[in-house]
Amino acid sequence: MYGVRSWLIGGTLMMALVAAPPDGTAKPVPDSIKLDALENLYDSVKFNHSKHIMLVKDCAECHHHTTGTLVEDKNCVRCHKNSGATTTVACRGCHILQPFSAQAMREKNKNAYHSDKPGLKGAYHQNCMGCHAKTGGPTGCQDCHPLKKTGEAFYNTGGYAPKQTADKGKHGGH
Amino acid sequence: MNRYAREGVETVNALYKKDGKTRWSIMDKLLLGLTPQQYMAQLIRNPFNWILAVIFAVGLPIIAGRFLFGLSWVTHSSCDYPWGLFLGFGLFGMVPLSSSGFQLGTTVEVFGRHDFEPIERLALLNGLLGYFFAVCFLMVDLGQPWRLPYPMVVAFGPAAVLFLVAWHVATYLSVQIAEVSCSFFEWIGFPMGKRGVRRITLGLTVAGIILSTLHQGALGALFTYAPGKVHPLWYSASFQWLHFFVSSIPGGLCMVIVVSTIARKTMAWRCDDNFCNNLDKLTVALAKGASMGLATYLTIKLISVAHDNKWEYLATGWGAWYIVEMLIGVILPLIIFAYSIRRDKVGLVRFGAVLVVVGTVLNRMNTAMFTFNWKLAEREIPHWREIVICITIYSIYITVYRFILNRLPILYQWNTADEAVPEFSRSGMNLAADKPSPAPAGTYCSSVGEPASGTAGSPVTE
Amino acid sequence: MKRRDFLKGCMICGTAATLGVSKKSWGAGSFEGYPEGMGVLVDLTKCVGCRSCEAACNKEQKLPEPDRPFTDPSVFEEKRRPTERALTVVNRYDTKNENGSAGGPVYRKIQCNHCNEPACLTSCFVNAYTKTKEGAVVYNPKICVGCRNCMIACPFNVPGYSYSSAFNPVVKKCIFCYDTRLKFGKPPACVEICPQEVLTFGHRKDLLKIANERIKETPDRYVDHVFGEKEVGGTSWLYLSGKPFEQVGFDTTIGNDPIISNVKEFLGTVPMVLAIWPALFTGFHLLSTRNKDHGDHGHDHEKKEEGKQ
Repeated sequence: MYGVRSWLIGGTLMMALVAAPPDGTAKPVPDSIKLDALENLYDSVKFNHSKHIMLVKDCAECHHHTTGTLVEDKNCVRCHKNSGATTTVACRGCHILQPFSAQAMREKNKNAYHSDKPGLKGAYHQNCMGCHAKTGGPTGCQDCHPLKKTGEAFYNTGGYAPKQTADKGKHGGH
Repeated sequence: MNRYAREGVETVNALYKKDGKTRWSIMDKLLLGLTPQQYMAQLIRNPFNWILAVIFAVGLPIIAGRFLFGLSWVTHSSCDYPWGLFLGFGLFGMVPLSSSGFQLGTTVEVFGRHDFEPIERLALLNGLLGYFFAVCFLMVDLGQPWRLPYPMVVAFGPAAVLFLVAWHVATYLSVQIAEVSCSFFEWIGFPMGKRGVRRITLGLTVAGIILSTLHQGALGALFTYAPGKVHPLWYSASFQWLHFFVSSIPGGLCMVIVVSTIARKTMAWRCDDNFCNNLDKLTVALAKGASMGLATYLTIKLISVAHDNKWEYLATGWGAWYIVEMLIGVILPLIIFAYSIRRDKVGLVRFGAVLVVVGTVLNRMNTAMFTFNWKLAEREIPHWREIVICITIYSIYITVYRFILNRLPILYQWNTADEAVPEFSRSGMNLAADKPSPAPAGTYCSSVGEPASGTAGSPVTE
Repeated sequence: MKRRDFLKGCMICGTAATLGVSKKSWGAGSFEGYPEGMGVLVDLTKCVGCRSCEAACNKEQKLPEPDRPFTDPSVFEEKRRPTERALTVVNRYDTKNENGSAGGPVYRKIQCNHCNEPACLTSCFVNAYTKTKEGAVVYNPKICVGCRNCMIACPFNVPGYSYSSAFNPVVKKCIFCYDTRLKFGKPPACVEICPQEVLTFGHRKDLLKIANERIKETPDRYVDHVFGEKEVGGTSWLYLSGKPFEQVGFDTTIGNDPIISNVKEFLGTVPMVLAIWPALFTGFHLLSTRNKDHGDHGHDHEKKEEGKQ
């Protein structure tokens, strides 16, 4: 009688330990994330998170050590060899939208170790496209986020492309 | 004009006509003592004027077009090649040739060599017109020429070499106008003005030397702003301004030789004995001065190649072109001068002078245009309208030159014996009260080949 | 009489003298930029040639419509330079590895580098350029005469000129978005739009530290040189590159001296000539004409009058 109950308790406890996320918090891992920082020019990106989890497997590729996995980059290991999971995991939690705004420049701590941290746009593009270039993923601007009409006007493309004019000549003065 | 002289038309060379009583009017002076019909007739007869007419017919509308349609209509100036023919030929080319003003002024007034006086006024006029038309070329080239006075009165950038050039050229033009005004005052009969200018002549001349030294050099220093862009053989980090200053010396002197030769050939009726008899001797003397300038220039060019260790550039294509320029402009003339001065071969001296003028202009155009941006792959070829405008403005320069030489006492001496206000004379005589003096005001040079005419003040008689 | 002439000569020359004296007094070549001067660090290893910066500049500075869309990569087939219609351009350079094999393309953004000692500023005779304390080199079109000396002087061949305008041609170049952004502490439009954050905005002093830190952390990634740190006296726009700078279109022969250093020698001669020439040539005159009869200058030498007795 004691044997079965202790098995049950032990087993449940074990399962709870295994099943629970290691950091103790119970945040859900999103399947799809909408990235809409560039809303004024581009459609928002429907980022397929679960697909990337399956392809990449190692969370640290994108999330550094924040999901609790080990880091390997020697520049990071110097300080972070024992770092575990953090409360902030999402990119926009640390990488701010406008890193060079007047306010951000004022508040910036130049002595912090990560003072060269890219902003959100930089983090996304450097991280994503760096990997895509190596693995054959989409690298064109519009492959991930098509232009809106305002974007087309901005880039003088699509419906706003310049009319075909005669060659204005090689000499650049005109 | 020779035909009219033969027909007995009297030439204007004094305030009063030969009868001593009738004064020449302004119209007479302007029309060279001819009736309007005679004047028009001789204009039309001259084939050179036909060429000028064609040039003006084509060129003047294009100049107007430059101001109406903008610089892009007449030049291929681009962001890589901002300066073209207007500055390369018009400004940089004409300014060293106009240094004759300060040189002959110094020779006569500062060093007291009055034997150069017959050619002094021509040299002064050469200087004035050269600078004036260099400024005209500048006006055509500037993006907003109506703002030319800005560096004088609106905004100052004194660290800029161009600031110095602007101020100096403006001041120097005033000095030169004052120096040439002597002839002008004689011609219009305002002897007080002439005397006033004569009093400050030494000061004017010294001011002229200072201003010329600096702005001839400053035009060279303009290229020190772009040390990498001019080919190393034409650029010297330390001596650029000296190159330009020293090469202006032979340039100006030889330009006077060339102009005086042309004047002697084409305007012989206007040149008096004083001019004609001394011309050959003075030509050789000017060439002597030019040779010294050329020898110095050759030396400093060699020094600057050695100074920056640029010898290996001589073996390149650009190096060959450099050697060609030095040959045409410096070495060959030096040899010609050395030979011809010794043997008094004036014709050969004149040829040498032409080479120097060509070589000086070539040097400026090489520095400003041809070797500029030598590291870039593309060269700029000037627009045809740019070439037309250059030819047109140069033709206007020649026309104005001829206009003044035909009238003002530059090639001949004005008969000052009958100036209204009595001049102080050593003997105390009141010269104005005399009849037209028997002292010759100068007789006319006949054209080449005919014997010089005889008596005082009278035209060539049959 | 000769004293009078000498004084007259000096007066005329003195007037000329005051006009020619250069007022520049501080030592050129040792100006490190204003303490609050901003700059931009351009990391060429990150640029992918999307040309968003060109589009942003075009809209911010209200430039005319481009010939081709900003999304068109065919512009990379030829090398472009900034003109009056495009204050910044991106060029593509096909590089070579050390072993001679083809390296990848490197994209470089070209614009005014906002030098510490700008050549354009020193060459302008109406003082149309100003180096602001925020670091931008800005231009005043209202006094520009159009001499285009600044275009000759710029070692990076940056300023463009609107030759096609008949009545108001002006120089056009990147002004660091001074009027609309930098004055208020905001980053220029190109920095804000860059998706790859190739452009890092900050104080120039800090950017140098960041640049050197990047080189230290990832030495395999970068050439150990920050272009613009010292070139022509230092520029506000600094460059890091993964390939040698000559391969990506930089002129590495321009040297570290600011352009003004070349001109100072001549500018220093000017007041010397103005001071020395009057006495020198008046001296020549007096020495060479003492016993000669030399006409009606208006000054008579004593000898001449004595000789008339």
